[in-house]
Amino acid sequence: MFRIYTVIGLVSVAAMGLATQPAFAQTPNETLASFKTAAAGDAKFQGFSATRGEQFFKAKHGKEWSCASCHTDNPAAPGKHANSGKDIQPLAPSANAERFTDMAKVEKWFKRNCNDVLGRVCTAQEKGDVLSYLLTVKK
Amino acid sequence: MSQRILVWDVPTRVFHWLFAISFAASWYISEADEWLSFHTFFGYLMLGLIGFRLIWGVVGGHYARFAEFMCSPLAGWRYLRQALSGAGARYIGHNPAGSQAVLLLLVLGLAVCLTGMFTQGAEEQQGAVSGWFGVKTGVMFREAHGYIAILMLVMVIGHLLGVAMESRLHKENLARAMVTGIKEAPQGSAVSKPFRGVGALLLMMAIAFGIWWFFYAWHEPVEQRLGHDDAKLEGPHVAFVGPKLSDNAQWREECGSCHLAFHPSLLPARSWQKLMAQQDRHFGTDLALDADVSAALLEFLVKNAAENSKREAAFKINRSIKPDVTPLRITETPYWVGKHREIADSVWRSAKVKSKANCAACHLDADAGTFEDAAMQLPR
Repeated sequence: MFRIYTVIGLVSVAAMGLATQPAFAQTPNETLASFKTAAAGDAKFQGFSATRGEQFFKAKHGKEWSCASCHTDNPAAPGKHANSGKDIQPLAPSANAERFTDMAKVEKWFKRNCNDVLGRVCTAQEKGDVLSYLLTVKK
Repeated sequence: MSQRILVWDVPTRVFHWLFAISFAASWYISEADEWLSFHTFFGYLMLGLIGFRLIWGVVGGHYARFAEFMCSPLAGWRYLRQALSGAGARYIGHNPAGSQAVLLLLVLGLAVCLTGMFTQGAEEQQGAVSGWFGVKTGVMFREAHGYIAILMLVMVIGHLLGVAMESRLHKENLARAMVTGIKEAPQGSAVSKPFRGVGALLLMMAIAFGIWWFFYAWHEPVEQRLGHDDAKLEGPHVAFVGPKLSDNAQWREECGSCHLAFHPSLLPARSWQKLMAQQDRHFGTDLALDADVSAALLEFLVKNAAENSKREAAFKINRSIKPDVTPLRITETPYWVGKHREIADSVWRSAKVKSKANCAACHLDADAGTFEDAAMQLPR
């Protein structure tokens, strides 16, 4: 009799454990793949480069901030908003599993932050380069 | 022939000194916001003590009973004039002037406790009468509280001068008598019973109340809000318990990513409307929010804006803004400016603060939006 309850109990605990696992819509690599699909439309597209992405990430593009102004030169470390000082969670997927798993969020932040840094939207090439770089950053 | 007899029973003496400590302590810390919960503690303690004294004045020891020392204010005045000319008769218990002081201090004490309680209930929406009145009424209670406290201080000083004068006039130490309870008295005078048990019970209840208060008003809320190992816990600062504010996950996510999610109650609705209308020029950044997200945020912001909030900060911020002005920053509002005037430049420039928008650098509960007086600490 008691064993039945034990089994039910264990099963529910296991089910709850599974339910609380973060369910991400997609992996960062899938996000990268969708950038690739978008960039492939351009005849000159020759793949993404992590090195180019790193340069892009750390350089200024005619405005006051670079990506690194808030995310720091080490994207695996926590950043700080350049104006408000608000803490920003690490950007590299190796340090923050939530990053680049929700396409709507990815697009929202690229839209907002590219505008902050470049004064325009980023191309799929630029997004793919940066994500390629971020995927190489070790914790 | 005279003898040494017990005049002041133990409960009367315990009451007297706890009452004195409560008054002195709450007066001493009354200006410091971060000590507010201790101020409140002494207020409630004093209220309890007065309640006890009113009962003890009926059922207590001989010299503690109101019937023994009650007299008309006129008699008190007459005695005061006699004593000043050096001719006042000696009383074993309270003399007529002293008895007036006792009664007045009890009445003023009651008034100061009640107005304090209502101030806190109305301005902070905290305490035993939380929410009975709005912030507007609270401002009146606060003024009354202040004036009554000053009257009480005057009374206390008068009482101390009276004790000193009487002690000289009759060559006896009245202050010591309030410690030991013993005074010289002619043979045949009434003697008090000590009532040690009641006195000990009173003292123990006051201590137990203090311990309970520590957990209720300090330990619990601080742990709840800040967690165990927060370094900010050091120091005497107390996060007093207030009602939780309206919250919204989308607002936290959208507004709290780049800066503190400033609670809507800190600006009037017209400010939020303007901010959202100009979201493409949000202090140098284009927020690029989708229309449906914008609409949902605006709804939450307007619904909980300053004019729709019962909070003290909301009321005072809103009141300070001229009707034809629409501030986009909380730090532009006259109330904010006035409240932060005394903060030194060095504090603003320190690495831990940097920006005036960084409320959380000093306000431990900035994230909750409550901005309790007590939850505040300049970074070290």
